[in-house]
Amino acid sequence: MEVLLGITGKDFTLVAASNAAMRGVTILKAEDDKTRTLNSHTMMAYSGEAGDTVQFAEYIQANVQLYGMRNNANWQLSPPAVASFIRQELARSLRSRNAYHVNLLIGGFDTTTNKPHLYWLDHLASQASIPYAAHGYAQYYCLSILDKHHHPGISLEKGLELMRMCRDELVKRLPIDFKGLSVKVITAKGVQKIELETAT
Amino acid sequence: MSNPFSINGGAVVAMVGKDCVAIGCDLRLGMQALTVSNNFPKIFTYGDAYLGLTGLATDVTTMAELFRYKVNMYRLREERAIEPETMANLVSSSLYERRFGPYFVSPVIAGINQRTGKPFICGFDSIGCIDFAKDFIVSGTASDQLFGTCESLWEPDLEPEDLFETCSQALLNSVDRDALSGWGAHVYIITKDKVIKRLLKGRQD
Amino acid sequence: MADRYSFSLTTFSPSGKLVQIEYALNAVNQGVTALGIKATNGVVLATEKKSSNALTNPSSLEKIAYVTPDIGMVYSGMGPDFRVLVDRARKVSHTNYKRIYNEYPPTRILVQDVAKVMQEATQSGGVRPYGVSLLVAGWDEKPAGTGKGGPALYQVDPSGSYFPWKATAIGKSATSAKTFLEKRYSEGLELEDAIHIALLTLKETIEGEMSGETIEIGIVGPPADNLLGYEGVEHARGPRFRKLSPQEVDDYLTNL
Repeated sequence: MEVLLGITGKDFTLVAASNAAMRGVTILKAEDDKTRTLNSHTMMAYSGEAGDTVQFAEYIQANVQLYGMRNNANWQLSPPAVASFIRQELARSLRSRNAYHVNLLIGGFDTTTNKPHLYWLDHLASQASIPYAAHGYAQYYCLSILDKHHHPGISLEKGLELMRMCRDELVKRLPIDFKGLSVKVITAKGVQKIELETAT
Repeated sequence: MSNPFSINGGAVVAMVGKDCVAIGCDLRLGMQALTVSNNFPKIFTYGDAYLGLTGLATDVTTMAELFRYKVNMYRLREERAIEPETMANLVSSSLYERRFGPYFVSPVIAGINQRTGKPFICGFDSIGCIDFAKDFIVSGTASDQLFGTCESLWEPDLEPEDLFETCSQALLNSVDRDALSGWGAHVYIITKDKVIKRLLKGRQD
Repeated sequence: MADRYSFSLTTFSPSGKLVQIEYALNAVNQGVTALGIKATNGVVLATEKKSSNALTNPSSLEKIAYVTPDIGMVYSGMGPDFRVLVDRARKVSHTNYKRIYNEYPPTRILVQDVAKVMQEATQSGGVRPYGVSLLVAGWDEKPAGTGKGGPALYQVDPSGSYFPWKATAIGKSATSAKTFLEKRYSEGLELEDAIHIALLTLKETIEGEMSGETIEIGIVGPPADNLLGYEGVEHARGPRFRKLSPQEVDDYLTNL
């Protein structure tokens, strides 16, 4: 019952992940961070097989940061380039004997074009660039809410309001407490953590 | 259900007309019954050759990128664009190279040979067997429906605009009867000295 | 210790020369003269066949080789090295091209592939450069790059460099043969004229007598459908490259 959510707006990308680390029906941890910051303006959230997720995420994080070190600090991989790289690595692993079983959302903000980016990738490395996205059971509850209320040019405030609507719906419908969402926002200023006010 | 060719859904059709060809695809990307994206085109251009790819979405992207690489290298080596017939043989040999671990795609090629002026279309199975056709090629989860609409609507020697209408109607009406395809379409109409790409909105449900 | 490393035989001299390549060129320049002329509708390759002993069977000696149905080549220099290169040329024309695109490579692509093989022999460990220069003649059905398609004639050297020519010669009498060709070559030359000029040029430089037994000629001309081995198949086209029989060569010689 891991939850991943992503929403883009006029000048931001929101990425949220549930805080519960679960194994079967047992909650092992209530402050699990399922996100990694890749470079100044991109991050990813992941869910899937326990060991694979962190292993893959850190491999990607290390390589994106290595790229940053090998080049000028002002010449970082753009969000589309990061997404392409991740997809290629996941697709390569798919054809190996032990494929990573990881679902991903990649959020970013392109400072050269001032455009938000959100990529959806599943464990088969199917990639889609979309305005809002979800993984797991959250897809069935949240995509319909976002279909109704999302517009491409929404403000951050509206984005957070949509995020709250999604969270509240999940809290209401999911049978297991996923211990809330930790939300991050990517804007021209970079990646920041945002506190979503607690459920009513 | 777990057939790799029908996890993500999608449809492609190509048709021959009088000194022209048309190729169209839907825009849906899904996971089983859930639609993930309504902007996932399945036609990719390589010089004079147009390649449509249906099947497993990850392999669609992988193949599109692989052929981008191969065709760019070809153009640099030969200092000329690849001809559709040559592209067909390249696709065939690339797929057969993975005979015992195939990419789960059903490619379609359409194009006009700039040297001879001849229209060309063909389709493939996932291990590279070429299906040369004089009339039309269909592929994807809506292929059964496309065979039906194409058999009824297609006729020889259609002019470009009539071919566009025939191809579009065949595609649109087929994907409406397939739960895994639809959500808009791209249609290319290709003549020797002009290519028109049209976005068809289609039913969004 | 020394056997733990394999040093390239071709190592730069302090003056910046690769002397092994120059030695290879020396081998070429001692070789029997070979020449090629490009015409509007074809190409001719010609060379002298010299057997070291009168007891050898001249028909068993072949110096002009078939590579693909539209491409053939001749050499000057070391015969055994040429055989190895012909083998490789035939092989790479399939592995690098026909098995991928289901068609034979254009002349320039084949020349580049063979030139690559020769270049690698100047930079790899434990090998020596090939002691041959090649003349490659071919016909391109499709316009290749900025070219128009049609006949093509290339020279490839031991260093791996290659040049397109209208007409050229390699080997012992290359210089005098090229001077002769410069005088006799004209734009708009037809294949029959080119064969004639090829024989005249050989005549200037040849040591022995000229006959169908001692002269070898390969041509790239119109498709030879009679060499297909079958008929009645639509769109089937015979090879453009073929070697002239001793009788054909004799016929040309009598008309010289």
